[in-house]
Amino acid sequence: MNIAQFLTIFISSVFIYNVILSRFLGLCPFLAISKESKPALAMSLAVTFVIVMSSMITWVIYRFLLVPFNITYLRTIFFILVIATFVQLVEMVIRKISPAMYRFFGIYLALITTNCAVLGVAVMNIDMFFVKNKAVAGSFYFSLFQGFSVGVGFTLAMLLMSGIRERLEFCDVPESLRNFPIAFIIASIMSLAFMGFNGFRF
Amino acid sequence: MDIFIPILALGTLGLFFGVGLAVAAKKLKVKVDPRLEKIYGLLPGANCGACGGAGCFGFAESLLSGKLSLGACRVAEEKSRQMIAEILGQELKEKVKMTASSHCNGGKKVKERFIYQGIKDCVSANVCLGGQKDCVWGCLGLGDCVRVCPFGAIKMTDDGLPEVDKDKCVGCNRCVEACPKKLFTLIPSEKKIYVACSSCDSGKDTKAACPVGCIACRKCEKACPYGAIHIVDNLAVIDYNKCTSCGECVKVCPMNTIRIRE
Repeated sequence: MNIAQFLTIFISSVFIYNVILSRFLGLCPFLAISKESKPALAMSLAVTFVIVMSSMITWVIYRFLLVPFNITYLRTIFFILVIATFVQLVEMVIRKISPAMYRFFGIYLALITTNCAVLGVAVMNIDMFFVKNKAVAGSFYFSLFQGFSVGVGFTLAMLLMSGIRERLEFCDVPESLRNFPIAFIIASIMSLAFMGFNGFRF
Repeated sequence: MDIFIPILALGTLGLFFGVGLAVAAKKLKVKVDPRLEKIYGLLPGANCGACGGAGCFGFAESLLSGKLSLGACRVAEEKSRQMIAEILGQELKEKVKMTASSHCNGGKKVKERFIYQGIKDCVSANVCLGGQKDCVWGCLGLGDCVRVCPFGAIKMTDDGLPEVDKDKCVGCNRCVEACPKKLFTLIPSEKKIYVACSSCDSGKDTKAACPVGCIACRKCEKACPYGAIHIVDNLAVIDYNKCTSCGECVKVCPMNTIRIRE
C-alpha cells in the first residue's frame, strides 16, 4: 500500500476508466440533470457521497457476511439492498438535520437509489480488490478511495457536459436535434475524446 | 440444506434493514404542516414562478408563512382559490381575469433595415441598434414571448407576429417581462378593444415605416363617446376604466390600428 497505488487508482478512475464516459454507468443523471451547472454539481456531490459510503458498507458486507457463508454469488441483490436502505436513511437524516441541504439535494438524493454507477463501483471494488475471495492487503482503503475517485470522475463528466449544454443554449441547433438528440451526440463525442486516455488498440 | 443459508442471510438482513428504516422513519420524523400538502394539491402545479415564490410548493410555503398573498397566483382557478382561502381561513378578494395583448401589428409588413444574423432571440436582436426592423418600437418577431410562456398560449403567426390564445392565457405576466420592446400589456379579459401599435414617432415617420401604425390623427379621440381614448406621445392610449368596448374607435381608425381581440 503506497502512494503510487492510490495515484494509479485515482488517475484510472477519473480519466482512463471514467465511470460515465468509458464505462457507461450512471447515464441517466448524466443526460437528465446536465442542463445547468448548479444542479449538475449538486447531483455529483450527492452521488460521490453515496458511492464512498456504499463502497465502504458493501466491502464490509462482502468480507464479513458473504465470504464466510460462501454465498458470494448473491452479491448483486445484497448490494442493492444495502444501497437502497442506505440512501433512504441518509435522506431521512439530512431532512432532519439540515432542511437547507435537503432542499439543495432535493429529488436527486432519492434518484441515486437506482443509479447504476453506485452498484457498479461496489461490484468493481470486489472484482479488483479480492483475489479468490480473499481481500488483498489494504483492500478496504483501496475500495474507499476508488469510490471517491469514481465520484470525482462522475463530477468531472457532469460539469463538462453541463458546461457544454449551457453554451448550447445560445447556438442555432436544428429543430429536430434540439435538447436530447444533440445531448446524445455530444455525449458520444466526449466519450470518444476520453477514449484517448485509454489508447487505441487494433 | 445449502439453500437455507442464503435465505436466512438475506432474510435476516432484509428484516434488519426494514425494521431499522421503520424505526428511523419514526425517530427522524419531521413535522410538516398538514395544510401544506392540501394547498399544494390545489395549486395549478405549473411552477411558473409568476407569484414570486420558488414554484408552486414554495408558494404554498409562503402562503402559510404569510409572505405572499393568494392573489399573487394568477393561474389558479376560482374554485381552487376559494378552497385554499378556506384552508387558510381568509376572505377571498375578487380578482379580475387578465389576458395579455401584443401592441404591434407590423410584423412582416414592416421592412428590415439590415439583415440580422446573430442569436435568434429578441433580446439579442434588440441590442443591435434596436433590432432589424424599420420601426424601432415594433415586434422583432423572434419569439421570446413564445418561448417564455409557460402555458403555450402564444404562437407566432405567418405574419411574424405573436398571437395570444385567450383561452390558454392566464395573465401570468411572463411575456410582459420578457419582451424587450415592452409590447405586451395585461388587459382585463372582458375588454375587447386594444391599440395594435406602440410607436411614439410622429405620424409621418410611423407611416413611412409601417402601413398599420398609429399616426395620431385623433379621430378615435373624437369618436369615443366615453372619453376613454386619448393620444399620448403620438399614440392612442385606451383608459380601460372608461372603455366599454363599444367599437366606435375601431370604425373610424384609418390605419386599422385599433382592433378587436377575438
